[in-house]
Amino acid sequence: MEYRSQKIAYWYFAAALPLFVLQVVVGLWLAANYTFTIPQSIVNVFPFSTARAFHTNLLVLWMLLGFMGGTYYIIPEETKSEIYSTGLAWFQLIALLVTGVTALVGFLFGWTQGRPLLEIPMALDFVVVIGALVFLFNVGMTMFKAKNWTAIQGTLLGGLVFLALLYLFGIPFYRNLVIDWYYWWWVIHLWVEGAWELVTASIFAFVLMKITGVEREVVEKWLYVEIGLFLFTGLSGTGHHYYWIGAPKYWLWIGGVFSALEPLPILLMVIDTMHHVKERKAKIVNPLTWTYAIGCAVMHLIGAGVWGFLHTLPQINYYTHGSQVTVSHGHLAFFGAYALLNLMTFYYAMPKLKGIAAYDDRRGKIGFWTMCSAMMIMGLTFGVAGVLQSYIERVLGMGYMVAQGYMRLWMGVTMAAGVFFLGGLLTTVVDLFTLRPSKVQA
Amino acid sequence: MTKKTAFWIFLIGTLSSAAVFLGATYDTHRQVATLSNVDKLSDQVVAGKRAFEKYNCNDCHTILGFGGYYAPDLTKVVQRVGEEGIRYRLKSPEMAFANSPRKMPNQHLAEQEITDLVAFFRWVGEINNNDWPPQDSKKRLSRGEQMMVAKVGVSPGAAVFQTKGCMNCHSLKGTGGTFGPALDKIGAGMSAEEIGKYVRNPKGVNPGSRMPSQKDNLSERELDEVARFLATLK
Repeated sequence: MEYRSQKIAYWYFAAALPLFVLQVVVGLWLAANYTFTIPQSIVNVFPFSTARAFHTNLLVLWMLLGFMGGTYYIIPEETKSEIYSTGLAWFQLIALLVTGVTALVGFLFGWTQGRPLLEIPMALDFVVVIGALVFLFNVGMTMFKAKNWTAIQGTLLGGLVFLALLYLFGIPFYRNLVIDWYYWWWVIHLWVEGAWELVTASIFAFVLMKITGVEREVVEKWLYVEIGLFLFTGLSGTGHHYYWIGAPKYWLWIGGVFSALEPLPILLMVIDTMHHVKERKAKIVNPLTWTYAIGCAVMHLIGAGVWGFLHTLPQINYYTHGSQVTVSHGHLAFFGAYALLNLMTFYYAMPKLKGIAAYDDRRGKIGFWTMCSAMMIMGLTFGVAGVLQSYIERVLGMGYMVAQGYMRLWMGVTMAAGVFFLGGLLTTVVDLFTLRPSKVQA
Repeated sequence: MTKKTAFWIFLIGTLSSAAVFLGATYDTHRQVATLSNVDKLSDQVVAGKRAFEKYNCNDCHTILGFGGYYAPDLTKVVQRVGEEGIRYRLKSPEMAFANSPRKMPNQHLAEQEITDLVAFFRWVGEINNNDWPPQDSKKRLSRGEQMMVAKVGVSPGAAVFQTKGCMNCHSLKGTGGTFGPALDKIGAGMSAEEIGKYVRNPKGVNPGSRMPSQKDNLSERELDEVARFLATLK
């Protein structure tokens, strides 16, 4: 830690981690809903829909907190100045947390906008917008006052502004369901394949530059090419969500062609990570942070790149759209691209925030490998269930519940893998909160 | 490659894709009116959409393939289970899904909300969405339906069975409800006369039966036709 105001990042991380744990616990309940028969009396009070709203909103909440914390950690070092206002950073953290908790409690009582992932009611949306504006103001002012512009800063700020702007498209009520989904994807797709990629690409570039010691010139050159490719493929790649919603037929072409290219920027990210690691100028101080960086790049490529590519072609998507294949892709992609990125940032920043140069990473390693293997198994079992569903329900045309019967075993295996994942996650969270200096001198 | 070249790659890549995307967005807005039959998008349909959102239906069910994957897709639900089928499931899910391993919450909907929801689903089902989902595509009929369509020519009873709500409780080849037994092999144990007698007065034949009499529901002719159709299922 070089600047005092970086300390605020710790509280963002500390808020994000328990929410991640809660997300996974609710995830296990969702898997139980698929595996066992939940009695009508429970379903009437706490239906699957409410639990799913919990699972997905917790995901967004903890990841955004992670990104914000990461941003607050990075900008002082990038701009070579203190954060404009730590008071505003505190205000915004509390506002976001209070909104999040209010929204979750509200879901239990049926207070919802009723649109998947965007369930937060309109009144709370405005609090989120105010929080986002405060955040952007704070980050922007820090950068403008310091006037030490770098590509990493620019990408980060650009990504955050883009992220906030897109959120606005999810707020209004749309009369026409087709238009509703059209703009729903402006939030969801353009977030995860646009704005979030910009934020993570810049955070990733920063951490990589710091731990490998490769020159900024080289890192930022790669960064430009990557975000250029991310946006080139990602913007028009939104089309792969418009195949079956009642939009014109040309989206089959636009979506098919651009999304076929979507793995390219991620592949480039893997190549440049390997390149930087090979050309490193710095000594490896904390091997686990490295493992997270490489794990993030590789799992990002598998989950988002390969799994996404597998079913974005219209001919395949016709059968897999809206099945457990989507769930398989969603889990692997979010974990690989964003959960691991956040955890990498935590493992990079937490020791520095606590003044530990080299940390003891024995528990952390167990956590990393348990989570990665459990998630990989979940990706495969969700995938098997999804292929069964696509074939039995969509190709053979048998009933929905007939297909679900065959899938039940695989959802059960997913649940078991989920228990292992939770174990790995708890190990990681405990480790992050209680980091100790390494006994072996690096 | 210099950093400046890299920057230009970024700028041109982003702007060209944004141009394609925004251009197509503009054109999509022009075409959606026709593709989604905006002339039929009445206030009642919109009220149905509001009810759909109020009860968070979309976090269990998909519609147009988006949402929760816990329950069947609702894009073509009117075509699949009929308007009566939707009403029945919404009004008494604990009955409709009594024998199903997966339950649906009873949301205690008002009569008006149910009517609005049905109007909403009817409108959604007519959206021209490139013939998705495949299981409801008339070009790719499901096995159960193929069998029925093949029989409709010989037996009008198949059409009665499909359109008069029998499938709210009974299934054929896995398509249909689970409250009553599957009827794939019903003809093996019962003759047309026996089935005809049964559907007119189920409790008269089997006092433990929970099936309501179909005498008020179907005409005498329809009852005979459906009995004759069921007797062929062996």
